[in-house]
Amino acid sequence: MDLDKDNANPTIINPSDLPSRRRSAPTTKRAGIFDVLAPAYPTLLAAPSSPPEAQSDISSDSEEEEDREEIDEQEVYDLISTISDPEHPLSLGSLGVVTLDDIKILTPTSPRSRISTVTVLITPTTSACSLTTVIGLGVKVRLVNALPPRFRVDVRIKEGTSKTADEVNKQLGDKERVAAAMENKSLVSVVNNMLATCE
Amino acid sequence: MSDIELYLFEVDKNKAEAHDIAEKSASRLEAKKLKLIDLITSLEPYINNKDDGSIRAKSVGYLADVLAFLPLKALSGQERRLLCDFILGRIEGDLEGVGASARALVALEGLGKWDVETVQRVMRTFIDNTHPLRQFKLQTERYSIVQLIDLLLAKYREASRHLQEADQEFMPSFISYFEGEKDPRNLMIIFSLLQVPMTEWDVHANAQDLFDSVFNYFPITFKPPPDDPYGITAQDLKDRLRDCIAANSDFAPYAFPQLLDKLDSTSMNTKRDVLQAIQACVLGYEPNTINLYSVTLWDALKFEILNVQEEDLAVESLKSLALIAARLTDSADGPLNAYLRPVIKECNEHLEDAPTKQSEASGRILHAIAVSGYTAADKVVKGILPTLFSLYNGSQSITKRRGLLEVLNEIVAAYIELGASQPEAKIEALQASAGDAVDAMIRALVSAPKAEVSFRLASLKGLAQLVSAHGVLSEKESGRAVDTVTDIVLHEQLEGHGNIRAQAIKALTDMAHSVPHAVRDRSLPAFMVELPDVPAEASSPGPVLEAFAQLSTERQIFDTVALRLKNKYNSARHQGAPQDYQRSLLLALLYTFTFGTPTQEDGITRAAYFTEYAAPLVTDVASSSEHQSDSSTLEIVGRIVNVLLRPQGIHLQSTVYNHNVQWLASAVKDTSQAMNLAPFTLHYYAALRPEVADAEDIVFVLKAQADLALNATPASKGADTVLRHISLLVNKFINPKTMQATLEASDIEVGALLSGIPSPQAISVAFAVVKGLLIQGKTGALATKYLQALLDLLSTQGRGIAQRFATLLTPDDILSKENHCLVSGLYKQKIFNQAVPFMTAAVRTADATSKPNYFIALSGILRWLPYSVIEASLPSLVAPLLQTLDLTESTDQSVKASALVIFESVLMHDSTIVAEHTASLVTRLLNCTAGPTNHASVRAKALQCLALAPRQLKREAVVPYRRQVVKRLQACLDDAKRSVRTEAVKCRTAWLGLDEGNEDDE
Repeated sequence: MDLDKDNANPTIINPSDLPSRRRSAPTTKRAGIFDVLAPAYPTLLAAPSSPPEAQSDISSDSEEEEDREEIDEQEVYDLISTISDPEHPLSLGSLGVVTLDDIKILTPTSPRSRISTVTVLITPTTSACSLTTVIGLGVKVRLVNALPPRFRVDVRIKEGTSKTADEVNKQLGDKERVAAAMENKSLVSVVNNMLATCE
Repeated sequence: MSDIELYLFEVDKNKAEAHDIAEKSASRLEAKKLKLIDLITSLEPYINNKDDGSIRAKSVGYLADVLAFLPLKALSGQERRLLCDFILGRIEGDLEGVGASARALVALEGLGKWDVETVQRVMRTFIDNTHPLRQFKLQTERYSIVQLIDLLLAKYREASRHLQEADQEFMPSFISYFEGEKDPRNLMIIFSLLQVPMTEWDVHANAQDLFDSVFNYFPITFKPPPDDPYGITAQDLKDRLRDCIAANSDFAPYAFPQLLDKLDSTSMNTKRDVLQAIQACVLGYEPNTINLYSVTLWDALKFEILNVQEEDLAVESLKSLALIAARLTDSADGPLNAYLRPVIKECNEHLEDAPTKQSEASGRILHAIAVSGYTAADKVVKGILPTLFSLYNGSQSITKRRGLLEVLNEIVAAYIELGASQPEAKIEALQASAGDAVDAMIRALVSAPKAEVSFRLASLKGLAQLVSAHGVLSEKESGRAVDTVTDIVLHEQLEGHGNIRAQAIKALTDMAHSVPHAVRDRSLPAFMVELPDVPAEASSPGPVLEAFAQLSTERQIFDTVALRLKNKYNSARHQGAPQDYQRSLLLALLYTFTFGTPTQEDGITRAAYFTEYAAPLVTDVASSSEHQSDSSTLEIVGRIVNVLLRPQGIHLQSTVYNHNVQWLASAVKDTSQAMNLAPFTLHYYAALRPEVADAEDIVFVLKAQADLALNATPASKGADTVLRHISLLVNKFINPKTMQATLEASDIEVGALLSGIPSPQAISVAFAVVKGLLIQGKTGALATKYLQALLDLLSTQGRGIAQRFATLLTPDDILSKENHCLVSGLYKQKIFNQAVPFMTAAVRTADATSKPNYFIALSGILRWLPYSVIEASLPSLVAPLLQTLDLTESTDQSVKASALVIFESVLMHDSTIVAEHTASLVTRLLNCTAGPTNHASVRAKALQCLALAPRQLKREAVVPYRRQVVKRLQACLDDAKRSVRTEAVKCRTAWLGLDEGNEDDE
């Protein structure tokens, strides 16, 4: 029945085993179940210095307003793990095509440069997967659209996982070829379908 | 003119008139003014008209109409026989008016029962002379005939059956008689009448023809025309056709192969029909017949489950498999074994490379089959578990083990469902393996690496299920399961990934439902050990306490949990534990009474809980005049009292009220104490029914509270509680008729409060009073006057008053029906109708300094209103709301946020309203996305709104902004806050998507 697919029966990672923000950042302020029992309402006693929202989340944010949450590997992972595989109705994350360990962010090398680099290594489900290039293209398009311009996006096939790795890496690394690929209507529609599941 | 002439004259022009003529003839016939013989003779020239067939047909129609109007017994048996002969004789020679003949016969039958011979003659005449039915082009003609045959088959079962038994040739012509019928109305009757021969006659010899005659219609693709007067749906036809297919076991050799053939169809709807039909067949055919096809069916159905195309198809296939098992269970052992052997074999094969889609599907299959009955479940367990455990023990891969456990859990889940529906359990087979299962799962929970979340969760679920499957585990085994889960809840302190405490607590609560004694005897003491009377400096019993409180959701252990908490609180209090800890214990107690399941009597919480739990707390509050307790602890005490007291009847409430009125009065008088006590009194008074309290006392309390509020310093804590208390008293206790007088007596008449240059405290009190009045809705004129007074302040006062408008509609759990408050159903609309038009009008003429006041007050009102209330006025609101987005002060952030929320709803529901403002909306939203002048929540909300624009507004309206938006959003992609970046990505994707396939436009 699935003869037309390169890998009819891939291993699927259980959703609760996928990396999530919850895993990497132990919550400092744990919201207890008792908190809802004694809710705090915007107060009627509003002195001009303290607006009615004294207890609401907005002003509590303002204390943290200064802290910057840097873009990290998990954030990049969240951007691309929800891309659908072109031949299975599954996400790249659950198929293990992209993993947290294979995402690296290199901060600017010199203080004068602002350019960071994101490197994503892709692991095709089989070494002969003919759709590797499309998957790579999807990941690349997603990241170029979703990361600020100070990031350089480098998508490659993980060493030793695909027979066509060199070929594909060359294609993905070549700006001209990526741009040309995105002129191809049928390819664009495949990529858009893959990205349709992204939030 | 004779009746027939009149009839023929009218029938084509005026149906009703023609009917009346026939009715008149009938009544004359009945009154014996007209003889039957004369009537027939009068028909003579028309019914035999050689030249015009239609005149002949209409003449028969006249006869049929007349007969239909005749009452019972109007004709003698002989007359009826003669008429019958006459009509049948006509059909043999002339087919014109055959539909009318059928109607006439139906009418005749209605006048008196037929004998066997007549029935058979009627049937034969029609089948022999009018075969095939499709030669008649008019649907109504065929319809009448079909109705006649349906009547014959329904009423004269024996007579029609003998007809078939006596003549070999009858059945084939009967079957082919209806061939080619396409009209749904006729088909509905044909499908129904065919059920008689299908189920009652011996049709073995003609089974294939009979089956094909109906199966030709499968699958039904009928679509009723729009406003179809007959109201026949495709589903009606499908249901009747399905009943035909499943009517006779003799159909099986033709039904199953053809159905399974159609299961390969590419149309999902066809597949759905096939699965429905298969289920009907399994239920309709004999078990012996099912036995012949069970394996064939399995071989076909399994693909729908192993490779799911559509989830509902998989579900229906599973249901079919279960039905087969259930049908075969009723017969001997052999057929069920024959059916299950290949199922078990295949599932075992899939287990070997678990976890895969196939192994997961195997779990579903086994669950479905096991749930069909204990006999099947028993065989599944015997067939699967040995392989499953040997694979489990033979593998070191945690992923594989997890996959296997998931299958095991499916099987156990089936036992739980069986236990709920079938009392006499047969669980020996599962019992035999349960020990191994418990061991494996406990080992997994105790020793597997904590990061293997899915594996541990599968084990946890498995343990909870095994405990819940009634009678499967021995007491010792359930005890071990309970201990293991308790241990996770108490001692695993993992944060982030790997934390499965929430699930463990859930599992423990589930277990408490099945084995309450084990949880009571083993878990609860373990919890108590972890909860000290006085906690040491470093330890934080918070999580343990939370878990403990959650156990109260199980009714059977509720009382124990609540009692232990109370005792713990008492000892903590006597040994002087820190306030925080005491407060946590009280919170836990409040949690149990709010979210747990306390015993109820007559639908309300048992009164004894109040006397046992709340009353002592009140006594403590009353006796400790020094008030060591801080006000946050007192608030919790108040809430416990509130939740337990408010549902109680007047009798108990009066007793409580009279018991406490003294000390409360003296406490309220003492200003220093009263402020501290405010959170308690607020919740206490909120619980009381209005008729319980004494009016004088209420005025006294109101006065005291007003005093407190008016003299409060801005820094004093609890002042807002006092204000809520004022709203409560005004709303609930004061008679609306004497409202103004009472307010004056208490020195809080709003007009007086606001005169001159009101102090901030006076304004606050005024808002509190107005809030209570507005929600009550009983003092219309007064409330309107007061609200207007507040609105008038907007042009002269500072921002403080504008900001307070948000508080008018802020939800407050004190002012609720549960607290016996008066809550008008329309108070939101009322405030809206008074305040909003005033403000939108005033803002146009307002000067630059007071303008922001109106924006702030406006969005303060709007933010709490449901969309349906604002909807009608949106066109006039868009302009002020857009200007609201231009506010820049840091205190205005919440105002902007609420304006953005409204824009979000507008874009979702009525985007046409903002369409003309597209340019200014897009620009302002983009401005709101810039940090750091805007707070993160404002930036995120603005991005959410902006993301809606390309989807909700017309393409040509937004495309011009695409380039600008996409460019400016690049900055948002680098926002400092992660949540904002996430929204920025979504928003940018939405705008980027605009040019899909339309590059030429740019």
